[in-house]
Parts: sequence; structure tokens; C-alpha cells
Amino acid sequence: MNAGNEPVGENGALLNNTQDRITLTVKSFATFREIMDPQIRMDFLKGATIRTLLTELTGRYEGLGELMFAAPGTLRDFVNILKNGRNVHFLAGLDTPLDDGDVIALFPPVAGG
Amino acid sequence: MDGYAGKMVYADLSAGKVTIKPTPKKLKKEYLGGRGFGIRLLTDMVDPKVDPLGDKNVVVYAAGPLTGTGIPLGSRYEVSTISPLTGTAMSANSGGVFGWKMKKAGFDAVVVTGKAKKPVYLMLDNGKAEIRDATHLWGKTTGQTTDAIMEELKDDKVRVSCIGPAGEKLVLFACIINEKTRAAGRGGVGAVMGSKNLKAIAARGDLPIKAADEELLNVVKDRVRKKIEDNGIEKALHNYGTAVLINIINENYVLPTRNFQSAHFPNAEKVSGETIAKTILKKPKGCYACIVQCGRVHEFDDESGEGPEYEPDWAFGPDCGIDDLKAVARANNICNEYGLDAISAPTTIACLMEMAEKGYVKHPIRFGDAKGMLKLVEQIAKREDIGDELAEGSFRFATKYGHPECSMSSKKQELPAYDPRGIQGYGLATATSVRGGDHVYGYMIYPEVLGAPEKLDPYVTKGKPQWVKTFQDLTASIDASGMCLFTSFALDAQDYADLLTATTGMKINPAELLKIGERIWNLQKLYNIKRGFGRKDDTLPARLLNEPLKEGAPTGQVWRRDEMLDEYYTLRGWDAEGTPTKGKLKGLGLA
Repeated sequence: MNAGNEPVGENGALLNNTQDRITLTVKSFATFREIMDPQIRMDFLKGATIRTLLTELTGRYEGLGELMFAAPGTLRDFVNILKNGRNVHFLAGLDTPLDDGDVIALFPPVAGG
Repeated sequence: MDGYAGKMVYADLSAGKVTIKPTPKKLKKEYLGGRGFGIRLLTDMVDPKVDPLGDKNVVVYAAGPLTGTGIPLGSRYEVSTISPLTGTAMSANSGGVFGWKMKKAGFDAVVVTGKAKKPVYLMLDNGKAEIRDATHLWGKTTGQTTDAIMEELKDDKVRVSCIGPAGEKLVLFACIINEKTRAAGRGGVGAVMGSKNLKAIAARGDLPIKAADEELLNVVKDRVRKKIEDNGIEKALHNYGTAVLINIINENYVLPTRNFQSAHFPNAEKVSGETIAKTILKKPKGCYACIVQCGRVHEFDDESGEGPEYEPDWAFGPDCGIDDLKAVARANNICNEYGLDAISAPTTIACLMEMAEKGYVKHPIRFGDAKGMLKLVEQIAKREDIGDELAEGSFRFATKYGHPECSMSSKKQELPAYDPRGIQGYGLATATSVRGGDHVYGYMIYPEVLGAPEKLDPYVTKGKPQWVKTFQDLTASIDASGMCLFTSFALDAQDYADLLTATTGMKINPAELLKIGERIWNLQKLYNIKRGFGRKDDTLPARLLNEPLKEGAPTGQVWRRDEMLDEYYTLRGWDAEGTPTKGKLKGLGLA
């Protein structure tokens, strides 16, 4: 598993030019933690989006795609993804661009009260 | 049969007399049960001028028609009274097993009036009711009281709903505890019990609870069970409990921290549901007929108990600047043992912490002081030292010292675990709540943060008044039905209507269901108006309207009351002061 030491682009190729790179912190919670690491750092090429990130993650962690997506490209109801505390649903959804230093939080359906 | 036990107990403690009467048909039709029964009976019987802790106040215990019918999550009962904390008509909801037992004992509701000369408890026993001496129980914790009654009756199947020392001492936010750990938590319902010298209600019996159409009910039960099981939310509740919310609310930058001075707690992970699951959790636990089991049984060191649920976890944790999970769990256990509301107790302590740090009160407590916090919880419960002043709630305490702005309350009841500045509709729901600061009379966190039934932008006010009204009315119906509010994560109005139709035999459609809820809401509102409440009270602490959030995505946000309140009143059919119009009351059968 690449936990951030080897930067990869959208197609998995190693990134050599640091100027083209962005670094993210990705956090997972609740039942997602039963499948993936609670917190990892990941590098991407500039221009990457939430969709890029999820493609990478679902490739890495077996079973995550099934928990996260109802159909290809469609998140399950009640799955929430935050970019620096803002739900990407109110940004550009899966096409929300990623920026260097972003903290991305991934939540499965949760409730309480 | 119609899902109801069919009878109600009227216990006049002044006269030492109990009377049993049939449950009125009209009451069932117009108010269903639970909160509906409580608010109707209370507002009929109690003059709005009475002192909530005087002998003229009334306490109503009521289950719903769906309580104890075997429907998944159909376990709830409500305690209604005039709140000594807020002065509003109040209802507090509890789960566990007691509501079911009350019906198995033969009763839909218990109406307690007057004041006993000495401590008593009320025994509900297979269709009979009796007032018994409780002198020997006075001073005991809720656990000791429960054990003592079971021992006295030589019956481990009897279930007990009681107060602890905090209720006896009239702490204004004392609660009622059944089965040692389930709370009718808010509004000081336990203090009203204490004021009547009523230590407990115990129930046992094996009388039948039958639905009008058992065959149809089984079909609907299977449908709702499948919807609950298929809903991913219920799995997270089972695995991590309600405290699973700590991280998500914190990551949204709306987790009130250090008495709402910020909305992000860097050490939230240490008190999160995920951490509970991998450290102190012994096993999950559910109420009667629960297939979710969000309750937490914990064990660590010499400590054992249940919880902490999300609200006390947040309140003793981030709101007090504390990241020591064991201290939080211990504080929660003290609340259960002494019978304290585990939201108002810690948030009142958080208020003291801010005032002490700012020099408004001379006291050594500071944010993050877990040991000092634990001491204060016991002092409040016993009304010892500064605990005697804190036992009046944060609003009265902060006002006494000249700084009411330090009380994070609405209508004198402490606010729950969400910062309204970053969740506009939730702010409106809690500001207009007819029982004061509250989150479960219209849980807008669901659409605005958790994204269901659809995702609503939490920073936007447009459209929120309609959502708030619908959530408030639907919740009132669910509270009247006897179902757990958590079913609303998976079920819709049609599901509840079908469950009620099959159980009661009354033809209830979603529109009728919402109308019953709206009737309850308006009745509660009308009563509050008679006690002097108006538009001025439908608001939140000035801090939340004037001081913008400073961290994360909601940076710069304040709660924008003026963009929503007039529209909310109009949608409710109320005038600009928030008073229901004659036309509205006529439409609801309240004129």
C-alpha cells in the first residue's frame, strides 16, 4: 500500500516533478475505518478531483467501493465527503478540485442525537 | 384490541388515593398517546400560573399505542409536566423496557397530582395501582432504589422508573431514570417528582397488548424491519453508538467547544465513538424490541455503566475542554446514579468554567480540569457549596453573577451539541422549540449535516422554515406513537401511518399523522404563551447571533434568525408575535 511515500498520479504513475504535486490528508471514520486506514497522506497531480481520490482509494482498499458507491459515479445515500469541513455536495460534488494541504474526511452513513 | 392497554391511573398523592379510568377514545384519536396524552392532560389540568414545584403541578407518564407491540424500536414512554427549569410545558422521552412494562401492567398513562406527606412510590401491578411507602428509599441512588424495590417485591421482572438524590434536592435539571441507565432527561422532570415526594413508579404484569389487525401489522412490521436493517446508518449506531457523531460534527467545525467559544475540538478523537468502541466498550445494548442497539455498556478500572451517549460525551468532553474519556464516562455514570440531566449538568459546568476563567466568579475550575469537573457533578447533585447555585441551571447562575451571556441556553434550558452558527435550520428548530433549548423536537442535523432524507446546505436559510415545521410536527407524532425517534432515519410518514392504522384500527394517513403532530405542537405553544412566552423567547444566546465562527469551513458564519423567523411563523399560521391565529386553532380542533 502506498501511504504517501511514493506520490502517484491519476493513472498510478510515479510523480517526479514536485511542482506538479499536491499533498492531501485523508481521514476515514466509523465503518470506513474497518476497511481503510484512519488517516493517510496522499500525493496527487495538480488538477485532481474528489473523483480522482476515490478512484485511487477504492482501488487500494477492497470493499470500499461497494460501501461508498450505489452505482459507478453515484455515491450511496448518506455517504458524506468533506473538504476542509465543507460537504463537497455543496461544492462541485465528485468534480470538486483538490488543493495542496486539503483535509478530506470520508464518512459512511452515521446518525445519533 | 387497538394497541392500547385501555386504562389510565390517576394518583392523587395529597389524598393518598388512586382511581382507574378507561383511556378516552377522543384522546386516542386526537393525540395518539405519549407526548400527545401528556401535553393534552397537563394543559387541561394545570393552571398556567402555578409554581412548577408546587403541589398543583401534574406529572403524566404516558406510553404510545405502538409501545410494547413488538414493532422494532417501539419502546418509548414520555413524562410530561410544567418544567421548573424553563417554565414551559415539557415532555421528556425515555426508552428501555419501562414503557412496555407499564402497558403490560395495564396502563397507557399515569397522571400524578398533589403532594404526598412523606416519600411514596406508585406500584402498577396487573391492572391494579397502589401508593406505597418509600421512606426507606429516600436518599438512595437510582440503582439502589431499583434494586431495593425489586428485592422488596422479590421480583426481578418488575421495572422501576425513579428519581435519585438530585430529584429529591429539587435540582432544576434533575431527570428520571428507568432500569438504572435510561433517562427521561430534560427539563427537570425529576425535580417535579421530588417536589411531590414521589420517589418511583414500578410496573409489572402480563396483560395482553393486541393490535386491531395483527395480520396487517405483521406485514408492515416486516417492511419497516427490512428498511431499518438495510439502512447503513443503523449499522454505524450499532457499532459505535450515538457518539459516532463526535468526529463528524467536529470535522464539520460545528462541535461546540469550551462553552461554545469555538466549534472545533482538536482532541475530539479521544472521546469519539470510535475510541469508545476500541477502549471501554464491553457490548452494545438495546431497548425493548430494538434491532439497532445503540446503547453502550462500558467497563474499565473499577467502573461499569452505560454510555456515554453523544450528548453527555460532548458536554463533559469538548464543551468542558476535556479529552479524558474515562472521566467523561464516570461523570455520565454519576448523572445516572444521582438522576441528573447529562446535558444540562455538564453545560452548566462549562458555563462556570468560562466565568471562572474570565474572573466573573471566583472558583478554581478551568476548562480541561477533569477532576474538578467530577467534583462539581456531585456537588450539583447534592446541592453542596457552589453546586447549590449551579443546581439552578446555567441561566439563573450566570444571571446571578451579572453575566447571562455566558449561559448557552434557550428559554433557560441548555443547548445541545451542535453550533447553530454553522447549521441555520437547526438553529431555528432549537430557538422555536416549545420546550426550550433542544435538538430532538425537530432534528434538523439529519438533513443539514448527515444528508438525509436529502442534503440541505447548512449555511443557507432559504427553505429551512418549512423543513423545520415539518420535522417538528412529525417528531411530535412519533413521540406520541411510542416509537424511537431513531426510526426516522429509515422510515417515512407513510410507514408510521401504516403502523398506527394496523395497530389502532384508526384510519391514519400521513396527512393526518402530521396534523396530530401539529396539534400537539400548537397546544404546547398555546400553553407557553399563557405562561408569558412570546417572540422574544424564540431566540438563542447573543454569542451565536453576533460572534462569527473563526475556524474551518463555517468561518464567518453567525446564526441568522431574522432571515427565518417571520416565514416560520407564517407557515405555522401564527401572527408576528408567534401566537396561533383563530383559523389555525379551529383547523386543528383547538379553538
